[in-house]
Amino acid sequence: MKVTVDQEKCVGAGQCVLAADDVFDQRDEDGLVDLLNPSPSDDRGTDVRHAAAVCPAAAISVED
Amino acid sequence: MSIAPERLQLPLPRPNVLELAPLYALLRREAPIAPVTTPAGDPAWLVTRFEEVRLLLGDKRFGRSHPNPDQAARISTAAVQDGPTGEYETEEADHARMRRLLTPAFSAKRMRMLSDHMGQLTEGYLDALVAEHETAGVVDLHHGLAFPLPVAMICRLLGVPEADRELFAALSERMAGTAIGEEAHQAREEFFRYMVGLIETKRPDLGEDVISDLVRAQGADSAFDYEQMVRLCVGLLFAGHETTVNRIGLGVLFLMTNREHWDRLVADPQGHVDAVVEEIMRLGAPGDLGLLRYAREDVDIAGVTIARGDALILSINAANRDVDVYSEAEAFDPDRPERTHLGFGHGAHFCIGASLARTELRVVFEALARRLPEMRLAKDVSELEVRETLTGGVSELPVTWRSA
Repeated sequence: MKVTVDQEKCVGAGQCVLAADDVFDQRDEDGLVDLLNPSPSDDRGTDVRHAAAVCPAAAISVED
Repeated sequence: MSIAPERLQLPLPRPNVLELAPLYALLRREAPIAPVTTPAGDPAWLVTRFEEVRLLLGDKRFGRSHPNPDQAARISTAAVQDGPTGEYETEEADHARMRRLLTPAFSAKRMRMLSDHMGQLTEGYLDALVAEHETAGVVDLHHGLAFPLPVAMICRLLGVPEADRELFAALSERMAGTAIGEEAHQAREEFFRYMVGLIETKRPDLGEDVISDLVRAQGADSAFDYEQMVRLCVGLLFAGHETTVNRIGLGVLFLMTNREHWDRLVADPQGHVDAVVEEIMRLGAPGDLGLLRYAREDVDIAGVTIARGDALILSINAANRDVDVYSEAEAFDPDRPERTHLGFGHGAHFCIGASLARTELRVVFEALARRLPEMRLAKDVSELEVRETLTGGVSELPVTWRSA
């Protein structure tokens, strides 16, 4: 699974951190998304896809 | 836009604080974007279907400002979400700057770090309620927990003295009032003056809090004017407690009237609390209008043409009960398979306090289920006093756990 984030789109909602904090974080200085793991294992698929689905800025893409 | 005779008049009367007007279901199906007359008597579009509400919230062709504010449709006589706000020409840049300033202070990680503190406060409030219940037999969870916790947290985050809580809570209540006419706008002026006083008291000795950060930022940025800053501080203090107080109340009512889900939470507070909180966020419907937007250009959508400058009321309440999105949409069911909702909005204006609210709600409902498993309402839901404000909610939550 391959995850990409678009910091231009990100509005710092932090929803992805609540969904999968092993994959996403927020930067201290501006609260924007910080991708911790661009290739999470398949068993993290549900939470990572949920993070992408709830992102209010549609800033997260997930490819299998 | 002319006012056609068949225009629906808002607000749609609702049966009680937990249910919506049945008419919303018909609108969602037959006229997802319907011409309506606002409580203030002006024309607007009411958007009720999940798909369109979500789409429009994420669409930059709609904003909170208006090209000619004097001509803009007014929504209500309250002093919040009543008409356009901000500068039409610079709205996007102003909003982006505001988000940049505030996002770090409300990040998910920081809110999580506060959860132990929230937990300690909550235990203290519950200790006091348990002691009071020993003698009184019935206690008010609104005054004992739902109100003080969010207030204490927002005071700490913003750097507002907790001793002022009765003052700003009363101002918030009046500012959101829908049945007091001009009084709501007077309250907004008073709130503004209170905030100016607070800011100037803090200025010589700025601390580590959001209002101090905003004062520093305003001093360093000529595009950020003083009045804008004060308004923003008022908005944060208003929205930062009012909303969560209401949501705790609605959550208690849902759980007390859906006993099987309360029992399930009691059986495993840690394991169930997240799902319970999300369902409270989906189904809780404070107030009865929605989020306000104005079209920045002409837009064709869902069979209607929205003209530049038209007002839209995006009904979060109706969208969150859309039968095309949720199975048994009107039922309170934390175990439902659907995990998303629009309770915190969507898009660029997504609630900045979402992580704060979620953390507070998780702490509160986990603690209630663990400590007061026998709790039940001491009054029927229909007898509870509902507030006549834009944000709705109840002003009392009488509960008991004395054996009947």
